[in-house]
Amino acid sequence: MWKKEDGKSQGVPENAAGISTGSPAAAGSPARESSTGLPVSSRASACLSQGIRIKGEVTGSEDLFIDGHFEGKVNLSNGSLTVGPNGEVKADIFAREVIVRGRVDGKIVGREKIQLWSTGNVAGDLQTERLVIEDGAVLRGRVEIETGKPIDKHAEARGAAAGTSKGGVVSVNSGSAAD
Amino acid sequence: MSFLNKLGIGVGAGAGAGSNREVPRAIGGTGRPRTNSSPPVGAVGATRAPELRESNRVSNGLKEFLWNLDGLGRGALLDLGPAWQTTLSFFIERGFRVSSEDILRAWKEFLVEEEGKLREAAGRAAQHNLDVTPAARAARFLEANLQYPNSSFDAVLLWDLLDYLEPLVSKQIVANLTDLLRPGGVVFAMFHSKKPEGFQRYRVVDCTTLQVISSPVLCPAQRVYQNREIQDLFGRYRTMKSFVGRDQLRESLFIK
Repeated sequence: MWKKEDGKSQGVPENAAGISTGSPAAAGSPARESSTGLPVSSRASACLSQGIRIKGEVTGSEDLFIDGHFEGKVNLSNGSLTVGPNGEVKADIFAREVIVRGRVDGKIVGREKIQLWSTGNVAGDLQTERLVIEDGAVLRGRVEIETGKPIDKHAEARGAAAGTSKGGVVSVNSGSAAD
Repeated sequence: MSFLNKLGIGVGAGAGAGSNREVPRAIGGTGRPRTNSSPPVGAVGATRAPELRESNRVSNGLKEFLWNLDGLGRGALLDLGPAWQTTLSFFIERGFRVSSEDILRAWKEFLVEEEGKLREAAGRAAQHNLDVTPAARAARFLEANLQYPNSSFDAVLLWDLLDYLEPLVSKQIVANLTDLLRPGGVVFAMFHSKKPEGFQRYRVVDCTTLQVISSPVLCPAQRVYQNREIQDLFGRYRTMKSFVGRDQLRESLFIK
């Protein structure tokens, strides 16, 4: 069920959205890897393992990793939520940071950042300051970048370099170049 | 033979992701600017998944599309292709609220699901009551997709997906999109002038450039639309403008 593992649970490193090209696994240069090969963060604490099914509401301020089935509502005001590759979450999610490697059905509010990895599949609206989408991720919903400032429509000439990534991970970071 | 096979999607149809990985055919043809050349094709029998291959093409259609949206302020855009970071970034940074829905992927998943239902009924030797006519299938598909309030969007990126959908579904999707668009809204679509040999997806690089990404076949091409058929499909739009490229790809803009 809920496992408290000091530094052993699976999360995503703070700098996982290294916003560099390459796979997210490489981007974050995680301190270490779990037995399943997932990056491990020293911050991640609670884990809902594969095969576990829970319905209800989760609130807290620590990080959480879900690799099982969860249905309900997740509210981690200052924590980050990682949905693992086997995770299936049917819930509205509110967290500081949300990383999706599995399936999420519901609205996601990631106050600081949302990352969709290549295996991620989201059906729901996204609301965040920064969004990272890896090639192959599936998104069905609306994207709202909260602090997004419309850029100068005539900035195209100088911003023509935007979007030249080749299959890597880049970030939508309001007010800055796309890649 | 299942209808998935008839559509060329079923196992052994030669169009599955594993069976017919797309040969990276450079789109953009001679004279088209590109930033990277196609890498060599992987060895036969290689177990590693082939990498997505990309090339750039100049897009007058995109340029015109953006010109039509200029001055819109915070517009709403519906992208019916895959959720590419670069495309989303491009429009979000220009103040658009972007909605993303990969219709082709949804269509394929829908067909697989329908196939499953039919198999299940056959397994139980029971008489299924699933109406498998194209019209019924189109209606069922659209019950679960493209569900937005009317007049929600100022712009739609339709890409070339109409070429890959059943004609009836395409027709219904265009009708639905017309309702979803606000007056003056713009649709950016692409049509192949001949049956495409591969399967590509597209993302926006900059105001005049699209990146063409050869991908595993999601759905085989269903038909090639002639000019008159395209006009009929988009009959409710007041303006249509087309740009035909050397790569047999026609880019079209439709303004409601």
